[in-house]
Amino acid sequence: MSVEAAPAFRPHRSALTRFISAYGQEIVIACAILVLFAVVSAVNPRFLGANNLNTIISGNAYIAVAAIGMSMIIITGNIDVSVGALIGVLATVAGNIAISGAPIWVAWVAPIFVGMAVNTIVGMLVAYGKIPAIVVTLGMLSILRGGLVSVTGGAWINNLPPEFLLAQRRFLDVPVPVWMMIVLTIAAFLWMRYTAFGRSLYAIGGNPEAARAAGIPIERRIVQVFAIHGAFAGLATILFATQLKIIQSTVPPNLELTIITAAVIGGVSILGGTGTVIGSTLAAILFSAIGSALIFINVSAYWLRAVIGALILITVLIDMMRRNREMRGAGR
Amino acid sequence: MSAAIPVQLENVSKSFAGISVLRDINFDVRAGEVHALLGENGAGKSTLIKIIAGVHAPDSGTIRLGDTVHTAVSPKEARRGGVATVYQELLLFPELTVAENVFLGNAPRTGAGLLDWTQMRRRARQLLDSLDSPDLDVDAKVGTLSVANRQRVEIAKALSQDAKILIMDEPTAALADADIRRLIAVVKRLRERGVGIIYVSHKLPEIFELADRVTVLRDGALISTKPIAEVTEQSLVAMMVGRDIAHLFPRGEPKIGEVLLKVEHLSFGARVRDISFELRRGEILGLAGLVGSGRTELALTIFGITPATSGTITLDGKAVTIRSPKQARNLGIAYVPEDRGLQGLVRPMSIAQNNSMASLHNVANGIFINVGTELRRAADSITKLGVRARGPSQIVGQLSGGNQQKVVLGKWLETEPRILIMDEPTRGIDVGAKAEIHALMARLAGEGMAILMISSELPEILGMSDRVMVMHGGQLMATIDREHATPESVGAAMTQATQHEAAE
Amino acid sequence: MTWNKLIRHETILGLFVVIALVVLSAQSDKFFTLDNLLNQGRLMTEVGLIAIVMTFVIITGGIDLSVGSILGMTAILLGVFWKNLGLPLELAIFLALCVGTFAGFVNGLIITRFRVPPLIATLGTLALYRGIAEGVSEARSVRGYPEWFYVLGQGNVFGVPTQLWLLVIVTIVAAIILGMTTWGRATYAIGSNETAARFSGLRVDWIKIAIYSASGFAAALAAVIFVSRVSTTRSDMGTGIELDAITAVVLGGTSIFGGRGTIIGTVLGLILIQALKNGLSLAGVKSDGTIVLIGAALILTILISNLVYRGGTR
Repeated sequence: MSVEAAPAFRPHRSALTRFISAYGQEIVIACAILVLFAVVSAVNPRFLGANNLNTIISGNAYIAVAAIGMSMIIITGNIDVSVGALIGVLATVAGNIAISGAPIWVAWVAPIFVGMAVNTIVGMLVAYGKIPAIVVTLGMLSILRGGLVSVTGGAWINNLPPEFLLAQRRFLDVPVPVWMMIVLTIAAFLWMRYTAFGRSLYAIGGNPEAARAAGIPIERRIVQVFAIHGAFAGLATILFATQLKIIQSTVPPNLELTIITAAVIGGVSILGGTGTVIGSTLAAILFSAIGSALIFINVSAYWLRAVIGALILITVLIDMMRRNREMRGAGR
Repeated sequence: MSAAIPVQLENVSKSFAGISVLRDINFDVRAGEVHALLGENGAGKSTLIKIIAGVHAPDSGTIRLGDTVHTAVSPKEARRGGVATVYQELLLFPELTVAENVFLGNAPRTGAGLLDWTQMRRRARQLLDSLDSPDLDVDAKVGTLSVANRQRVEIAKALSQDAKILIMDEPTAALADADIRRLIAVVKRLRERGVGIIYVSHKLPEIFELADRVTVLRDGALISTKPIAEVTEQSLVAMMVGRDIAHLFPRGEPKIGEVLLKVEHLSFGARVRDISFELRRGEILGLAGLVGSGRTELALTIFGITPATSGTITLDGKAVTIRSPKQARNLGIAYVPEDRGLQGLVRPMSIAQNNSMASLHNVANGIFINVGTELRRAADSITKLGVRARGPSQIVGQLSGGNQQKVVLGKWLETEPRILIMDEPTRGIDVGAKAEIHALMARLAGEGMAILMISSELPEILGMSDRVMVMHGGQLMATIDREHATPESVGAAMTQATQHEAAE
Repeated sequence: MTWNKLIRHETILGLFVVIALVVLSAQSDKFFTLDNLLNQGRLMTEVGLIAIVMTFVIITGGIDLSVGSILGMTAILLGVFWKNLGLPLELAIFLALCVGTFAGFVNGLIITRFRVPPLIATLGTLALYRGIAEGVSEARSVRGYPEWFYVLGQGNVFGVPTQLWLLVIVTIVAAIILGMTTWGRATYAIGSNETAARFSGLRVDWIKIAIYSASGFAAALAAVIFVSRVSTTRSDMGTGIELDAITAVVLGGTSIFGGRGTIIGTVLGLILIQALKNGLSLAGVKSDGTIVLIGAALILTILISNLVYRGGTR
């Protein structure tokens, strides 16, 4: 109730306590991953096999990459429920370019630019049209989903040229998706922490009025951040669409929810203004590890989703209890 | 010339949606002076400072910052021209650290153009030390700080930009006395450094202590700019309201009756500790204490927002349990909260809808609301409390602070309370409305209502209370009778408490 | 709560509905026939029930993404209770409605007790409830319900589809509650300023839990009708229906930030969506194409009404 908290009388905190307090959520998820690996590999050592680790991390790298952009969107206090549909559309675009005989790099680069273009429009509707992001992206979800199916008729794209399949390649014996996930996560993290642009995203989400008074061009930033998010959706698409020799011209069901959940579980507050992309990437890995672990400990495939859902819910509840406690602590 | 007068406004006018809010204003600030800006709410003070800060563009006139003459400035130009603002609702980012907030927008960079965190933290530390705040942690998230500390962060932010002009919009409105002293010391130090300060406040004592010159605005017009030596409290108030105010604190002869509320050993965790007191019919009991002393927390506990963890509450000789605001209301307890906008009003709703919010049963048959009854009762409230509004259907958010406070009060009077708790009843309200609220309180007490009044303003506590309680650290430090309550005795109870705390 | 603004949005929307009806009946003479319109009402009921209660949820400033999953879960359980447990179908229906209400109650509890933002809470239960549906059903479907059960989803009462009566009753009751009662007032107050509502002695948590429970109940009711209409249960029933319902509510002028909205608006939103779907399919546009138009209509309506507000108030 009262905002009249006592001053924080801790002028000289050690670097370690600072680290823990700043990255609490990331540490929690990292620990959860480690515990999961320890427990499941004790039950079934094959869980730690190179093949399985590869599946866990590289198979879900596209979710982690898309969650980076989503984290930025949520940090500014917005949301995007259309990203799953966008990825579906971009995959079809990439696939069609790949089989058209154009140079392969065009098929890889096109999703990035198309994603940026689409989301620039979304960003402009949000920033200048003053429509809440959830409404715009809800509309966009229908447009993209319906548009995709009505154009392609739901046909699959076959005969993708083998050199298109970037996700199957390796670099220094590590799958390309893993490289991309790590590089993009670190780059985005540093960018958001060490550039004025990156910091301004937190300012916009935390206190838009103050951000405006501080001279931050909020509208332009929102359009830009949606465009960047579109680029990440494009990058995610490349990893997603080049896994198999075929592309289904439909939208992967509930993909947007998985991506949003990864960002939020990773510590990005849905209220905006806080969180990092390290957390969202860890959360994406945790999801796929949970999925894989359930198979390894012989949970019926039918119950997979229920168990994952329950785990997500438990994580959220624990996280909320932690935050509520912190808020009460701050009130002292 | 320009060094001595860093900002000068000439013939500035501004209107919003056809309504003129500033007319032909000439205003300047000299380096190294505190220029107080006075006026009732709606007089145009906010608009004036927002024009200087670049938030609003004037319709006509010029703004000179340093050597450059503008017809309008952007927030960026204002900042480059050396203007920094400490707003009333502090414009900080709760999730960012103190250091980041201080340097947002002009953070130190490394050679590669990246943010230099080490440098940022070191310089924030230096700035805060220079503001007498060595106890402020530069790594703390701003959301966890007290109002006073957040304000220091704002000032540090202004200084980090090498401000030549510092605008302070009611900087002491939310501060307790000790923090006000500290702030005044800081302002004086800034003046010595040659910063020109525009100081907006409703509190006249501060203005007489700090200001070199004072400008009074009324209804968008500049009434007068004078050196402080040429004005008195009386003449300032007369200039502000355009008439004389008869009684500042109209507490007549109280008619105090039997004990109505008896609180014994009441606690809520560590915030409210073992509080016992009695409140009588017709009595105004003042509750003083520093911000964070547990005053509001005590009220919230009695009102059931944060139910007591131990202790008893007795009403009319009967022990009661209060675990929700609904129960408190049904027992005849009303709470006019500290934060009007957040806790008191539903601003997008009409006066009528706010008026009935706590007493829907009065305007409903069963579960069905009778809109006619609702409007009629609201119209009655408007007349009774003297709310200046177009009518009961007007949206509350459009009213001035004083009238909003009357709506909150009206809402609670609709519940026919026997006990009225008022938390900072006149915060952020202009002089005229303040006197009206005080008169209302005196009238209600005269009708037999028991009033518990929480206030940070010592004159209000002393002027209105029949008895004064002083709290600190969640505990009751002293209870002082009207005849013994002086600035010294109440202040001493608080100071004693502060020393006690410092010794811990 | 500014009536002027509401009326203005609803006027724009009403205009859209009229234009759509005129254009669509010009496109196909099958469109404006009683049979077709009643049939559209039949198809609209499931989303409609959910959207009506969703209006309350969104006015409180919340959202319920789990309704589609609750629909799937209760549909499956209806089949399981009846076929696998051998309960009478009436009892199975009753139990399924109870489960749906309870699922909504759990949402409300998570949101009020643990202060989890509604978007996140119902995102979690969306996965959980759908997972339970999949786990229980193990990809089997239940068919062969008794004949009387199909009256609900496929039959008529006084020449009007049975479920349309239900939708009309629910709509009227909801409109009365929202517009005329203390509960409705509390709903708006919570959405506009929850703290002030709490400080005014309104039972904020209780009301929110009741609304989320009602949302669960509406989803379960929609499930029963859905099963009756299509004569079978499957675990993927209702996937994505939450987005359709939210679209109808927002299209109807309810502010996604809470505090503003009406049942009439939601009904207009529902009608516009259904008319577009049906009219365009009659005109030969594939159903996927109509989805595109609905999305565009959503963005456009809000954009236009935003522009009108700003023009009018500033």
